[in-house]
Amino acid sequence: MEFPAALFPSYFGAGPPQEEGRPSPVAGWGEHGQVLEGGPGRRQAQPAFVPRRGATGEKWEAADAAAVPVLLPSAGCWIPSPAPQDILYRGGLCKKLRPGKSGATLDFARQLGHFFVDHPEDAFGSLGQLLHKNFYLGNSKLKVALSRNSTIRMTALVEDIDRLEARRGCPRQHLASRLRWFSHLCRDWLFEVPLGLLADCLHEELMQQWSNLLFDDSLTGGALAWLPPEDGGTPVGRLVHPGGQAMNHLYFQDVVLEELPRARGSPAQFELSGRIRQVAAARVDGEDFVGVRSDYHCGVWRVPGRTGAAPTPLQVIRTDVPASCLTVSPHLAGELSVCTQSGTVYLWSVEAGLQQVRHDPQTMFFRDHSAWRWSDFTAHPRVLSCADRTGLQCLDARAPKKCHFDLFKVGEEAGCQQGERVVLPMYLGRAHPSQYLVTTQFSVYVLDERLPLVPVLKWAHMMKAPPLFSHLMPGNPGRSHQVLLGASRTQELLLLQYRASFWGVSSGGSQSACQLAGTPQKLQSIVGCLQHLPTQLPHRQRLLQQRLEAPAAGLAATLQEDGPHKSMLVFQLSEAGDVFCQRLTHKAAQPPAPPSRDEATIAPGSSPLFEAPASSPQGLGAAALRYRRWLRALSRACRELPRHTWHPSLSQRRLFTRRDLEGPAGPSSLQRQMRQRLRQAMQEGGRIQHWEPLAIQPPPLPQTLEPAGGPDPLSARLTAAWAGDWEQWWEERTSFSVAQRQRALRERRRRQKRARGRRSLSASFTSSLTYQSELSELSDAGPLLLSPGHPTILSQEGSPPAGSPAVRSPPTSPAPDEALLSSQSLRCRGIPKERRKTLRDYLSIWAEGPPEPPEPPGSQASQLCIPSSQSQLSSASQPRRKRPRMGF
Amino acid sequence: SSHEHKINFRKSKEACLSYIQDALLQKQWKRAAEFLTCYVESLEKDYSREHIGPSEMIWRIGTEILWHHSQSSMKEFNCFMEQMKTLGVKRYLKVCLEHVFHLLCNGQIDEAYQNLSLAESWRFGEQTAIQDKEMKLIEAYRGLLDYCSWSKQKSILLEHGEDGFSDLAVEQEMHRYFRKAAVNLKEIIKIPGVWDVFVKCYVDLLEFYGDHNEARQVLNEYAYNSKFPANPNAHVYLYQFLKRQGESKKSLISALKILHDIVPSHELMIDFNTMLQKSKKRKKRRLGLEVIFAALDYAGWKENVKAWSCLARQVKQIVTSEKYVDWIKQEWNSRKDWWPAFHFSRYLAKRNWQENKSLSYEKALVAGIVLGKDCKYFKYVSHQGCKAQLKRFRMLKKFVNRHNPVYLRISG
Repeated sequence: MEFPAALFPSYFGAGPPQEEGRPSPVAGWGEHGQVLEGGPGRRQAQPAFVPRRGATGEKWEAADAAAVPVLLPSAGCWIPSPAPQDILYRGGLCKKLRPGKSGATLDFARQLGHFFVDHPEDAFGSLGQLLHKNFYLGNSKLKVALSRNSTIRMTALVEDIDRLEARRGCPRQHLASRLRWFSHLCRDWLFEVPLGLLADCLHEELMQQWSNLLFDDSLTGGALAWLPPEDGGTPVGRLVHPGGQAMNHLYFQDVVLEELPRARGSPAQFELSGRIRQVAAARVDGEDFVGVRSDYHCGVWRVPGRTGAAPTPLQVIRTDVPASCLTVSPHLAGELSVCTQSGTVYLWSVEAGLQQVRHDPQTMFFRDHSAWRWSDFTAHPRVLSCADRTGLQCLDARAPKKCHFDLFKVGEEAGCQQGERVVLPMYLGRAHPSQYLVTTQFSVYVLDERLPLVPVLKWAHMMKAPPLFSHLMPGNPGRSHQVLLGASRTQELLLLQYRASFWGVSSGGSQSACQLAGTPQKLQSIVGCLQHLPTQLPHRQRLLQQRLEAPAAGLAATLQEDGPHKSMLVFQLSEAGDVFCQRLTHKAAQPPAPPSRDEATIAPGSSPLFEAPASSPQGLGAAALRYRRWLRALSRACRELPRHTWHPSLSQRRLFTRRDLEGPAGPSSLQRQMRQRLRQAMQEGGRIQHWEPLAIQPPPLPQTLEPAGGPDPLSARLTAAWAGDWEQWWEERTSFSVAQRQRALRERRRRQKRARGRRSLSASFTSSLTYQSELSELSDAGPLLLSPGHPTILSQEGSPPAGSPAVRSPPTSPAPDEALLSSQSLRCRGIPKERRKTLRDYLSIWAEGPPEPPEPPGSQASQLCIPSSQSQLSSASQPRRKRPRMGF
Repeated sequence: SSHEHKINFRKSKEACLSYIQDALLQKQWKRAAEFLTCYVESLEKDYSREHIGPSEMIWRIGTEILWHHSQSSMKEFNCFMEQMKTLGVKRYLKVCLEHVFHLLCNGQIDEAYQNLSLAESWRFGEQTAIQDKEMKLIEAYRGLLDYCSWSKQKSILLEHGEDGFSDLAVEQEMHRYFRKAAVNLKEIIKIPGVWDVFVKCYVDLLEFYGDHNEARQVLNEYAYNSKFPANPNAHVYLYQFLKRQGESKKSLISALKILHDIVPSHELMIDFNTMLQKSKKRKKRRLGLEVIFAALDYAGWKENVKAWSCLARQVKQIVTSEKYVDWIKQEWNSRKDWWPAFHFSRYLAKRNWQENKSLSYEKALVAGIVLGKDCKYFKYVSHQGCKAQLKRFRMLKKFVNRHNPVYLRISG
């Protein structure tokens, strides 16, 4: 191919990029860039000029209103990848931090918790076995004297944890001191896996997941390939795509190119040992070579050109570091290039094996943290291009150290912006042997390797997410080439046209510089079809939406010429494994036509897709039928879906006591009447239209329970909240309770002073007992002291008003409980003063819980997680149990 | 509150912009235009301190719409551009430049020239670096248009000259254009960049007035200044200039040698090879072989009959003379592991035979020499050629068979 006789003028600078700030959201519009003298008509009186951008291009129009599924959804349901809400902290304090901002808080504690819950054996296996006798999870009191000394009740602790969970994010959250003590005591010895190590690994993984959520570069290149039919053969091509629940199955599906592409026969299928990240294909000497990349394995298949021939796997390589790129040589059969995240580039030949071309963990032109590397082939079969986020370099595989040159640099050379990074390079060999496409998050560049560093074309693509996929459809000589760019997260698809050459008469018919032709065009995304689909039941709709919104995972396209009709088929793969297709038809250039259909906006719901064409006997178009079938298959596939998402559930035990929930002894007459009517209506198959005639009179309003001292705390709080000064109310409330507590404390001291003579010495000694025994004593004592709930203590002990236990509590006198918990009564029971507060805390939890019936002895064992056969072991360890105290 | 108002305003502004963007990307120009009329309101309440304000957006979007809208006219476009120029001081030159480009592409050369002259005289405070660059470009484009007028006058003058009648006024006019063009063009090509058009015009002017030294200096500077990008065209222009000047073979070869070093796949390599093959010096002929082998390494040359016939000719020459077979051996050594699959596969033999018989002839000759008479490519092509009773191919078969020992030497 000849070099253009003259290039568009441009400045050339060196060094880091000068231009600051992000490009404007419309930076790609309204610019010709430069003009060049040329084009037909030089010999005429006036010179003619051509623009770098803004020349007329080919006109492509969408044939359908939305993309149409090509394949039916596979049987297994898709497991969605983590969403931001899965790993972000959702506390109230962090609400303002939006994902995507650097200040996002990762929910580290929850993930660590997940680990302990999901892998208890790994986390506490042996210690759990050792200790299982000493931890009791039942609600009832421990009776046997022996176990009372060596066993603690964990129920209270578990409830504390639950409560902590329920109050997550509350700014007034008080840490439960009991939990703190416990973790303080156990942190060092309870866990099988060293906590520090585990936390480090988890944190690293979380950061990785989060950065993947922000931008997942492992998908670069896309996992969809189209193997076109042989020239002049039947219009049956092949779609190579991943599938299965874990996207680890590789399918070669024959597809007949009709009005709507249709799958033919069952696909050739290969099960791989990892999630397929990339599928790359190239045709050499009439055979297709398909390279498949997963994180640690890369494989290559050969697909003979004739239709129906089975694909054969050729070779697999394993890498220690995840591979980030796999490209197939368009020049030589069975040659590929592989990059790993450690910065190594290999030339991989099926015959000759791997040849390391480059190894450099550092980035090329300036420092960038990303480990992403890419490589591709160039016009010279022995020269590979290597890319990282900072630019591209070309290396001769025969002498990589000596022979290399810089092809593209993020810098002033290419007029880059600050912060711009290479996202996807692609060799455009099928359109022009020495041209290259480089996309960044802001712009797309076309480079010519004969003129390195200076882009022959640059355009700001204005896509919302960086383009990770691209596909080239070369046009005939003199025609424009089509390039598709695809983004993953936003499913954007953009069609660009460029012309590598136009006839410049001035230069004697030689090639002229590269031009962007026509305007860029947005194609339909997968999720765009949602508005055309019939409305589903809400949960189905949600499932469908989730499915259709899955990030795109690949892109392929083909041009189809059928006599005068030319059309383009664009396939898009989603992470859920769906392949959707849209057809664009080529419109021959015509004088400005009256506004066509494309000017009409399509209102949601009134879609031409589902309108019955008069001609169709079935009453629906082919696309609509295709959708019907797809939707049916999807709902069938997802019926077996195990519930991944748990709806948040609230325990009403915290809100109401059993007594609250208990109704009157029997159903009231009104209820009886109602039930009867209902039953009758059901028998008759009729309906109940009016309840009134039976509701003779409203039940008397319950007496407002206003203590003499003023409105109850709840109504006071609600009133305050209504007025907008809840905060102040809370301040007053806490200070009030502090004052009250101080008063109580003073009172207690006074009493203690009086009683000191008898018990002071023994009381000071008891504090040397272990914490466990403290807990166990408390647990033992618990049920004894339980009484039908009274909430006042709970609310006064500084717990935030999470529940509203006071709402419907029966107006019993607080006296008995108060008496029960007063210092005096505790003291009488022989409880040392240091632990009275703890006890009081503890009892406050139980205050509104009903006394549980004592557990039968047999059920106790079943409540323990660890089989009782281990009991001997744990009893042997009992004497050691008190040791940990030494450390404190 | 005003803060809230600002936020709401910003939100609706963004929403409007996204509608416009959507319409533009779907080529719904009318819809985009309707939204743009709403977006214009954002100019009145421009609270943004963003890098790119709404005025730039309106300029860009409006221009794009007016390019494509079925009912827009040049008059409207010019009117819009004039408004846009006054909207932002910082962007004045950029908008002017784009306006000129549009006029040029639509053949309104005179209007473009007027606009350029106007823009050139524009002054506003201290110029930023970008404005400086834009100003230089404006001057350069005006120089280009002056050059166009100059060459028009020149052709008139030449026509008249043929009639034996010279017009002094036309000649003076022409010189005036020359002076104006030369000043501006000379300026821009001093700055590092790709200035193919400007350099060509400037050199043409200089050559016409016989200032060959200056032309040579300009071209040398453009080709060899390390601050400029490695532009193959710079070397091509120099080579063409030297050729026009009737320079010695030696200087032509040295100019092309440099081009070969930076772009081994340049189309001038065929000329280079021919030139070197004709040379009497052994070293140059050796270089010629290297050049043609290197060119054929590239995918773009795979089916270039000219290049293959150059190689075939030289290989044949070497083999017949039985001297310097080592040259072929050396060149072949670094290629023997991939050229057979790249150039001489059975698939390609079939296809080349079907598509281009003379290409397959040249390639078969090379294949027969470097890979022996048993190689797939040679066997297929010579078989087909003999079957088709083409004399050329029978001779080829004889030649390769006769020189099979050379193959043994090369492969050995």
